[in-house]
Amino acid sequence: MAYLSRENLFAWLDGLKADYEVFVPFKKGPFRFYQRYISPDKDIVIGEVRATEPVKGFFTPVKEKVAELFNPEPIRKKQKPAAIVGVKACDLKGFLVQDQVFCKGCQDPFYNAAREANLIISADCTQVIDTCFCLALGVNPYPESHFDINLSEVTGGFIIDIGSPKGQQVFDTYKSLFQESDTSLHTKKEQGRTQIVDRVRQNIAKHEVPYQNQFQGIIERNHESSIWEDEAKTCTECGACTTICPTCHCFFLTDEKEKDKLVRYRQWDSCMLKDYARVAGGGNPRPQLWMRLRNRFEKKFDFFPQVAGLNACTGCGRCITACPANIDIRRVLKRLVHNE
Amino acid sequence: MNNWHNPYNPIKTEVVDSIVETPMIKTLKLRPQEPIAFAAGQFVELTIPGFGEAPFTPSSRPSATEMLYLTIMNVGTVTEAVHRLAKGDTVGLRGPLGTGYPLERFKDKEILVVGGGCGFAPLRSLMYTLFERSEDFKKLLFRGGCKSSQEFLYKEELHQWAERPDLDVQLTVDVGDVSWKGHVGVVTTLLEDLDMDCSKGVAIVCGPPIMMKLTTAKLSEMGFQDPNIYLSMERNMSCAIGKCGHCRIGIYYACHDGPVFCYDKIKQFPDLWT
Repeated sequence: MAYLSRENLFAWLDGLKADYEVFVPFKKGPFRFYQRYISPDKDIVIGEVRATEPVKGFFTPVKEKVAELFNPEPIRKKQKPAAIVGVKACDLKGFLVQDQVFCKGCQDPFYNAAREANLIISADCTQVIDTCFCLALGVNPYPESHFDINLSEVTGGFIIDIGSPKGQQVFDTYKSLFQESDTSLHTKKEQGRTQIVDRVRQNIAKHEVPYQNQFQGIIERNHESSIWEDEAKTCTECGACTTICPTCHCFFLTDEKEKDKLVRYRQWDSCMLKDYARVAGGGNPRPQLWMRLRNRFEKKFDFFPQVAGLNACTGCGRCITACPANIDIRRVLKRLVHNE
Repeated sequence: MNNWHNPYNPIKTEVVDSIVETPMIKTLKLRPQEPIAFAAGQFVELTIPGFGEAPFTPSSRPSATEMLYLTIMNVGTVTEAVHRLAKGDTVGLRGPLGTGYPLERFKDKEILVVGGGCGFAPLRSLMYTLFERSEDFKKLLFRGGCKSSQEFLYKEELHQWAERPDLDVQLTVDVGDVSWKGHVGVVTTLLEDLDMDCSKGVAIVCGPPIMMKLTTAKLSEMGFQDPNIYLSMERNMSCAIGKCGHCRIGIYYACHDGPVFCYDKIKQFPDLWT
């Protein structure tokens, strides 16, 4: 096992800049936001908790050019691939859903290219915030798979785990920056993990969040329940919950004129918006807001379990923070489980 | 990048003709730069440069891959632009998309096809296919309805169909007028006393949602089994390759698992009818 000091982390990131656009979380007030890494900075936080924004945007940008109409040539990307640093376990679970959508069946060549090219340097959570409930969704607050290299923050630096051949290659290239780690640091890493797990567990207990083994049948059973209308009462149809969700993947195609060319973009969409399912002529299978809220939960906790064997929720809690109407996914799940 | 395939980029296509069918409906005759081989019930995405894209099931013979016919009602932004197209214009096509009719499951069966309004378009493509193999089926019935006699698609062809020995055709209009000598009433009123064993027969329905909903209820009442009722589901589609999420019906995507569905596969899902 290897150890990387904090000073050498920055030397490593400086080196990675040759091949990647390197993105790191910066602390701003109580939040963390991804920004391009330029030079060492005290506000760069590797551990702590997830960033405010999900990392899906590095793989399917909010708006991405996917075709120049009738031009069969591949679209050339000007920028280097991204190295995303400090990705948390809840975001890694997001890849399970996004991969299911964009890599299965007819492949999305842009997402697949980004998955192949981008480097994921994940990190253990070293803090817990009130909205964290990953354990309820079967996610531990430390990365176990779907990363290239993982960093577990310990005194003065990080314990390194390699998660893929790509990660191994990058590690080998910068071998001189890494040291052998000793057992005491490993013990610290494991202690840190246990401590965070405990704190998430306490969070879940405090908010009475049900665990996913209780989710079986909650959507079907509550289909005609008044929960949906009740919860949707305050919804402002802003779409923040789906935008900020690491698993939400919906998009629409839109054509725009650029100089003398017609260009097709793939742009994020939200199933909470009224026109999402509207058909030509005005018909709409979900004209009411509460139907769309029910649909959002159905997609997460019924569709994905049935087609992919997993709930499309990672317990990251972003939608709770983002919602201006205080619609709390933990409360909705609790009500569904207890038929309240 | 080898084997680069971009599922979002359409095939450049020439508008060969635009035929007025009814005041609201036109048929485009299209020649794509690469032939598009579709099965009856599969669909294509039509791009009108500068206006966007919309899904349509061809109304032409699936075996004729070099020229596709799309019969389109003027109901929205894209379809309004469709109606302004003229011979020589350039459009785009993506396809074939989705899953068509499982013809092998129709073998040795009595088949009832029920169409409403613009639903005649995809059904014409299916009927051509069924005509080509009519010896495979025990019986073929077509029941079609429109709001008024002016709104019938393919009038001349319907006359020819009436002459076919392998087909039993009956048509109706919701509202009669002096030019219409036939049956008056919604299409379900043509479904009484069918000369077929409904419990074993196959029913194929395509039309506006309200017509499909009422027809499905009628067919069930008549004894058709849910797995033998085939419906063409209308959903908002964008990517048409099972990624964008818009056309989901329960655990299916209409663009990928449909647009043709057996009723038993989808009947339990909420928000079924638009």
